[in-house]
Amino acid sequence: MSTIEDQERYALIAQQWSKRPKGLIAEMGIHVEKADPDSVLIRMPHNPDFCLDEEGTLLHGGVLTALLDSAFGLATFLNVPDMQTMATLDLRVDYLRPAQSRADVMVYAKCYRTTRHVAFNSGKIWFDAGNKEEVAHGAAAFALTRGKDNLLDFIKKADTK
Amino acid sequence: MKIIDLQARCDHVPFFRFLGVSIKEVDDKHIMAHMPFTDRLMGNPVLKTYHGGVIASFMEAIASLCVLDDTNAPPAKPINLTVDYLRPGFAGILTTRATITKKGRRMASVETVAWLENEEKPIAKGLFHFLLV
Repeated sequence: MSTIEDQERYALIAQQWSKRPKGLIAEMGIHVEKADPDSVLIRMPHNPDFCLDEEGTLLHGGVLTALLDSAFGLATFLNVPDMQTMATLDLRVDYLRPAQSRADVMVYAKCYRTTRHVAFNSGKIWFDAGNKEEVAHGAAAFALTRGKDNLLDFIKKADTK
Repeated sequence: MKIIDLQARCDHVPFFRFLGVSIKEVDDKHIMAHMPFTDRLMGNPVLKTYHGGVIASFMEAIASLCVLDDTNAPPAKPINLTVDYLRPGFAGILTTRATITKKGRRMASVETVAWLENEEKPIAKGLFHFLLV
């Protein structure tokens, strides 16, 4: 069971994350649909800029990789309360089907194990249309540093300025 | 494959335009390419680093070109990938070199390395598999 304080923390993190004015996450127009202590559900609207064809129906695999990387990062962030810094150690992605659709892209990421120094994640991608078959599956490990000056406090401080 | 033809092919792909891919060297087994830093490729606004997914996308883009028989060949289908992140990807011109490890009739395996200023200090390495049929 998560406390109300926890719930507020997840909401704050998710909100801060989607609110970023610059960078790839802003460019992707990501929306966090659900944020739990160990998992996230993310929606990305269709974007023709991320496609292989001028008609804008076939997403480049790299976009799915970038989405998974972002989602894993957020899931890990939610899971580790005293996070100071984090860096992706490695990322593995299997492309299960062609990413051909104009529907929104959905990403689910779960941080299923954390140790003092490492967080392990696994996740999947599907289109929010039809039978919602998995398009890609991924796994990532993150290197963590934990400490008193955690990243969330830093973000909060930056926000009140 | 000629640099000018490959670049023309890249310029027709919306996502490659988004990344800002520019082909620098081409031979039978290798392609080297540059990607300049822009804010929309940023992952961490505090440290001003590339998004990890962008680094992987760039390496995948160049790897996928590397396995083509000629510049008009249909695109190779990506099967899977593994990326090792070795150092922070601070803002700067990112260079990647893709090298064919093995190209068979059905599948190809490609190795990539990405660096900022010093090739001896790579920021990421990748391994990509493609289906050619």
